[in-house]
Order: sequence, then structure tokens, then C-alpha cells
Amino acid sequence: MATQSPSLSSLEADVLVIGGGSTGVGVARDAALRGFSTILVERSDLADGTTGRFHGLLHSGGRYAVKDPSAARECIAENRILRLTAADCVEDTGGLFVSTPWDDPEYGDQFLQGCKATGVPAEEIPVAEALRREPRVNPDIRRAFLVPDAALDPWKLVWGCARSAEEHGARILPYCRVLYLEMDGDRVVGADVRNERSGEEFRIHATVVINAAGAWAGQIADLARCTVNVRAGMGLMIAMNHRLVHMCVNRCKRPADGDILLPLRTACVIGTTDVFVPDPDQTEIRQEDIDLLLDEGEKLVPGFRQARALHAWAGVRPLFEDTAKVAETRDVTRSHALLDHSSREGVAGFLTITGGKTTTFRLMAEAAVDAACRQLGGPRPCRTADVPLSGSENHALYQISHRLAEREPVPQAEEIICECELITRSRLEDTIKQRDTTSLDDIRRLLRLAMGPCQGGFCIYRAAGILHQGGHVDQAGANQTLLDFLEERWKGVHPILHGDQLRQARLDDWIFQGILDVEHVPV
Amino acid sequence: MSYDTVVVGAGLAGLTAALRLSERGQHVLIVARGVGATHLAPATVDVLGYLGDTQVASPAASLPGLSNGHPYGHVPVDQLTTALAWFCAHTAALGYAGGPGENLLLPTALGVPKPSALAPRSMAGGDLRAGGRFVFVGFKGFKDFHPTLIAANLARARLPLSIEARALELEPPPTRRGDLSGRVMAGRFDNEQLTDWLVHALEHRVEPDERIGVPAVLGLRSDAPWQELEKRLQRKVFEVATLPPSVPGIRLFQALSAALRSGGVRMVFGVTAVGARINAGRIEAVEVANATGTHAYPVTSVVLASGGFASGGLELDSFGTTRETVFDLPLSGLPEGHRVRFAPRYFDEQPLATAGVATDDLLRPVDGSSRPVYENLHAAGAILAGATPWKEKSGTGISVATGYAAAEGILVPAAAPVSEAVR
Repeated sequence: MATQSPSLSSLEADVLVIGGGSTGVGVARDAALRGFSTILVERSDLADGTTGRFHGLLHSGGRYAVKDPSAARECIAENRILRLTAADCVEDTGGLFVSTPWDDPEYGDQFLQGCKATGVPAEEIPVAEALRREPRVNPDIRRAFLVPDAALDPWKLVWGCARSAEEHGARILPYCRVLYLEMDGDRVVGADVRNERSGEEFRIHATVVINAAGAWAGQIADLARCTVNVRAGMGLMIAMNHRLVHMCVNRCKRPADGDILLPLRTACVIGTTDVFVPDPDQTEIRQEDIDLLLDEGEKLVPGFRQARALHAWAGVRPLFEDTAKVAETRDVTRSHALLDHSSREGVAGFLTITGGKTTTFRLMAEAAVDAACRQLGGPRPCRTADVPLSGSENHALYQISHRLAEREPVPQAEEIICECELITRSRLEDTIKQRDTTSLDDIRRLLRLAMGPCQGGFCIYRAAGILHQGGHVDQAGANQTLLDFLEERWKGVHPILHGDQLRQARLDDWIFQGILDVEHVPV
Repeated sequence: MSYDTVVVGAGLAGLTAALRLSERGQHVLIVARGVGATHLAPATVDVLGYLGDTQVASPAASLPGLSNGHPYGHVPVDQLTTALAWFCAHTAALGYAGGPGENLLLPTALGVPKPSALAPRSMAGGDLRAGGRFVFVGFKGFKDFHPTLIAANLARARLPLSIEARALELEPPPTRRGDLSGRVMAGRFDNEQLTDWLVHALEHRVEPDERIGVPAVLGLRSDAPWQELEKRLQRKVFEVATLPPSVPGIRLFQALSAALRSGGVRMVFGVTAVGARINAGRIEAVEVANATGTHAYPVTSVVLASGGFASGGLELDSFGTTRETVFDLPLSGLPEGHRVRFAPRYFDEQPLATAGVATDDLLRPVDGSSRPVYENLHAAGAILAGATPWKEKSGTGISVATGYAAAEGILVPAAAPVSEAVR
């Protein structure tokens, strides 16, 4: 589907969207649903930037109820919408705010007031009840509150939106990088784009160009000689083997580092930190941040440091600041910013939508396309709050056990390529064909291949063999994607390598180097 | 009950040491959490395949090139030669071929020629050094072997003589199980006459001068299906090692444990050695924990063959501290400073790669001043410091050589004094 290479030397559209994160695909889908011809370009794979690297929390708004009431109101409204329109991407884990011995129990009163004022449903429950629901949580917590937090699968969401946009006529072009914005006087009229796989360059003409490049929005704005100040706030996440908690567990205090632990598919994720980085592409994971998260995890779940840490990664929040410098990135609003560059800099046909968070991506898209309508001949109603993504038509929320449930009647029916994530051979082969991709890393994001405890120790050799056998790559391509995958995987593994995961990594060394001798494949 | 020697660990090093000691009349006990790396690694004995980036043609000639502190530094070449010959003699049912003088080049499941000193006869026929024509045969439904990639990679491999390689995929008779591990496939060769099917499937599709490579699943109980295939097809057939569990490795474990049992060695699995009772610089008894509590076995000597990080013999905690898990022995090869930081690129040299226990020439773990920690404790296998076995392709060789040498170190009574300062 999405990745057919544009062979035309120029394309035309009403709306060109730059950026393939949740905001960008949200904008593309919104515009396509309103009947605009739409093209989206993304320099890398979809959801390869911030969206694919956030913790996966669908906010109830509780986290912002005290500090940022307007963000809280947006969150609860969008939370309710996504549970209906993107039900298949949402696991209804529920959320729990707890006052640990390190937190002021009085803050719970402010929290309840804030939730009430912003319309976030919150209910205090007895500590004993909270511990019954979450037996691993620190038994010394003093207060506990239930909120409708949930776990959100970012890849499924982004690909769901992309497919929906395509069903409504949009073209989604991953691995297409914007080189220049095409100007006609004071008007942006399109972009010159390079297909990063084929090297081919082409031009896209558009009436409106929407910059949805998130933390990279400033770089895109520069191309039109406009200014967008986006600070990149790097946040670190660690995925732990198993679900140590059933609900999204938050510390009941002002938002700080390492105060969220949530279940995400078969793992759980602790986050996050917030460090300003000058370049959103340079996200080095620091040992002190790893230790900070492990120590904070220990406060929420005693024994956390003995649990098995699988993988660490950093994402960059796009934090928009319009005026003065802000010292702490946590103090920048989490609300989004829509910038119409015709009123700001006199550059027409160019909008920037940035800031915000994945929970509110749909709302951001709506705002951006509303603004685009004004340059495209008048308002057309937004439909994304009502039209569900395919797979979510019956509003059935995602169930963690679905892959197992599908296999249970016929447990031995087919080869299982990735035992950790229960991915069958036919599912893998279908995905390779549909996506027309030869990158194991792309396949990882689509299927969660190699995201389990063994981090690809077993499935990646198999997947490389299947790619080659199916004629999707030649031997050099198969070898290269295997080597690339090992390097890419190592980036997330090496910062947290200890305990049982080091043991696993050594087994994987044995498999790839001791048994397969991967370091001597011809490439 | 008291034993002459307690061996901790049932991997290749522990099994080798135990068998050598029992054959020399010792009463030996093996305690282990479970089976060792035999079930994971191919059953080849890889003595030394690479010295840095250079492929090794003759391990025996290349051993002097290893850095100081390498486990082979405690095993003279003639002892290594003796150990390998001894190993071949005690695994006669598997018919090991080769020796320390020159490496075979056997294809991996990725189609890379990998140097090994010894290989069981069911694998040795894959030696690529002589060139020739090869056909690699995959079984539809068996996910751990990809013949097209193997053949394509081998066709481009750097080899002394040119080879031709092609791939063939066959569909075995149906079974109710759609997801097959190597172990299950091997069971089908034992129990379902899959050999008949394979002979019929291959006899008209393979040229007379082609050698036939199949995944290493030709029988779990023995290599009888391999023997039958070679005989009936009148061509060289060879197994190619693939992902764990390793069927040839399981055969090797079975061969060694049968020899141990007939030699009267007791093997206790599902237990963890947790420490020792010490008296005057010697281990008096090994403490072993099971589900009901801890039991002390009085001993004369101990062999620690608990493995490296992969087997749980070494551990790194989340604070960056590395420890030897049974006797808390001093470790060598730890990175400078307290905190371990792994290198950002996967194939770069990694810290802790060579971490482990340093020993004297009798394979006794030593402290920082090179004195034995305990007079009667010897170590063997992956717990030893100084090697990067998965890079050097030296793991199974180190296990056999040091398992054998540790036993010899026990059999030849030690003279070196033990430091008073320890413990």
C-alpha cells in the first residue's frame, strides 16, 4: 500500500502534509475525509519520530489537572473520542494515581479538585483496594485515585490513520524527505522532495502546506524563511519484561521524572525524563537518567531494579515556545500551537501545527485543517471525531490476549516466527507484501517483531531468511538488513544491559556470532 | 555422602572434567541447575577460528598468538591435542573428525564458512575447503533453516576453492503440528521414517557429485538417520547447525552422560551450588540448595564449570557490580572504574566480554596477587577470564581443553601454597 514510490516527476494536491507522526497522519486523514486531495511526506518511516517513542499513555488528563487545566480538558475529551474511533489501538487498562511515601498526601486534594474542575473523572479508593488491584505497587502508599487512563499503541494508531487517509484518496509517502519549500513570491506553493530509498527527486505542488514535523518543525519552517521555536524535550523510557502493573500507575504529585509506569502489550514502560536537547536527532541516553528511572521505579514497585529491563529509548517532545526562553522544559505548556504564517510572517499557504501530545493529535489535526479550509475556499466540517478507523468500527477496545485467543483453537496450526509476540509466518509475509518493505526495522514497528524478551534473538534470522526466500531482497540486502537490525537493536539494549537481559544478550551473541557467524556474511 | 570431586555445572566443560576424573577412578558428583550450553551450541569443537580479524587455518599453530591471560595460556598445545583425542575417543558414537592441526570450514545456517577443529561425522561432510557442488535442502514448515540464503551467501563466500551452491525446499509429510522446533523435527526422523521420505524426495533431484546439506535435525536419539541417508543416497550428506535447541548438541550431551553414568558419576539437576565451607584455604564441602533447603557435600576437590553470563555463572546487577555467583570469587577483566558502560556499536569490543575468573596453570582461580583462592578449587569453561569465545569461535574448544586440564590439575596434586590472606 503506502510505500509505492512516486515515479512522477511532479504531483499535485490541495494539501501537502510534512511529517508522518500522529499529528501528520491525523492531518492527512482529516483533510482526506473532508474531501481535499492530500499528500503526506515523511523523511523516515511513519511513527519513527516522537510518536513511536513515547510511553504509550492515553492520558485521562489527570496528569495535567492541577498544572495545566486546558491540557487536561483536551485530554479527557480526546480520550473519550479515541476510545470510540480508534478502539482497536486502545487497551482500557485504567489509571491509578498513588501517593507514595515520597509524595505529599495533601496533593491528592488538589488533584481531586483539579480533576473535578476539568471534567476528568477521578475517584479516591481505599489503599487496600488499590493494592488488591495492583499487588506489586508499594504497600506503603497512602492514597489512591482511579482515572480513565489507558494504553495506546502508537504504531497501530498511525498506520490506522494512514490507511484510512489512503482509503479516502490521500497518498502517504514515507521515506520521502523535503529538500526545499517551493515559493511563489510570499506564497508556499509546494515542496521538492527526495525519495530516500531510490534517490529520485520530485516536486509536489500544493495549495496549502501543513508543517506537522513536530520537534523538527523549526527546520521545516526555516525552508520558508519562517521562524518556529520548538524546543526538543528529550524523554527517556525503559521497557520492562512482563506487566509489573495492570493499570497505568502514576505518582500523585506535580508531574516530574520517572513517575509513570504503564502496561503496554506484553511489557510495561516506565517514563520519563525531560531534558532539553539542541538537536532532536541527537538523543544520547545518559546513565544517570537510567538510574533515575530505575530508582523511581523502585519507589512505585519495590524490587524494580531486580526486574528485567528489556530496552531503553528516548523520544523528543516538541515544546513550542513563542516568546521568552523557559528554563525548565516541564514548564512549557503541553497544549499545541497552530501557526498561520500568513499572519505571522506574511507567508501564505503555509501552516505549522506543533507542540501538543499524541493523546490530542486528532484535535491538533482538526485545528490545522480548519485553518487550511480558510485558504481552500471555505469551511468544511471535520469528521474525525465520528468516523472510526477500520478495525474499530464496532468500538471494541484492544484486548492484550487477542493474538493468543486467535491461536488457541489451533495452537499448532502454523509456524510462529516470533514466539515472544506470537507472530505467525503468514502474518509476517502479508506485512512484507503489503508494506513492500525490506527493512526488518520497519517490520518491527508494524508487527512488534523482536520487541519481546529475546529482542530478536530467534526471529530475526528467520525473518531475514523469509525476506530473501520470498525474493524481496537479494542476499546482500538480507545480510545488510540483518546487520542493520542488530545495530539498531543494540542502541536500545546496551544502555540498560544488566541482570537477566545481559544473560539474554549473551545468548543472542552466541546465536548470531557463535552459531551463525553473522560478522562474516558477505555484504 | 562424600565425593572426591564435586563438579558445578553440566555444560561441556563440566561433563569433560567429570568424565576424565571418573575414568581415573574418582568418585564424582555433578550438580547443576539444568543442562548446559550443549543444548544451545552446535556440537562442533571450535578451538580457535579467528585471531582478531584473521581467519585461523591451524588452531595449534595460532594459539601462541593469543593474548596473555587467555584460558588456552594454561593448556599447552600437546595437552590440548591429548584432550581432543581423548574427547574423540569418548564420543565414538558420534564419530568426531578433525584435530587441532587444521580447521574445517563448515557452513553456518546463514551460509558463512565457519572454522571448527572437530565436527561430528554427521556435520563434517560440509567441509567447504575442497570446493565442489552443494545443494542445501530446507523443509517447508521448518522456520530455523533458510537454504536459499545459505546457498546465495556461500556462492559469494571467500573460499580456497570455488564452490557451487543451490537450494531446494521439500515438503515433508504433513503433521498435526504446524510449528516445529529442531527437536521436534529430529523426533520425526527417529519415529516416523522421515528418512524414507527424504531419500525418495532427493534421489532424482540431486546430481551424483553434489553434497547435500540439511538442517541438523537428523535424529535426536542418534545419528542413525544420517547414516542411512548417506548409505541410500550414495552421496555425502551433512547437517548444518541452526538455532537452538541444538540437536547435535543434545546427541553430544547424551553420549557424554551415558559415559558418565556407566562410569558411576552421579548427576543431580535442578539444584544450585550456593557456596562452600572453608577450612585452612580449602573447600571442605560444597553447599547445594534445592527446593527443600541447603545440603553440604564434603569434597576433596571442586571443579567450577558454571559458565559465564549466558549460563548464570557471572552476573551484573543494575548498579554495575559484577559477581561470580557460586563462590563469590575475585574477577578479572572487569572494566576500569565502577560503572560498566557498553560500547554503542554492537560489533565493537564490549566491556565484560573477557570478564571471568583468572587461574594458575592448574586452572585454580587466583586472587589479585596470583595466588590460588582455594587450594582445591579448579575452574573450567566459560567462567574463565580472557576469551571472547563467540568472536574467536573458541567456546567449545576452551570447554573441552580446560575441562580436561582442570581434571589433570586435580589428578596431579598441587604444590603451590595458598594465600593466608584470602577469606
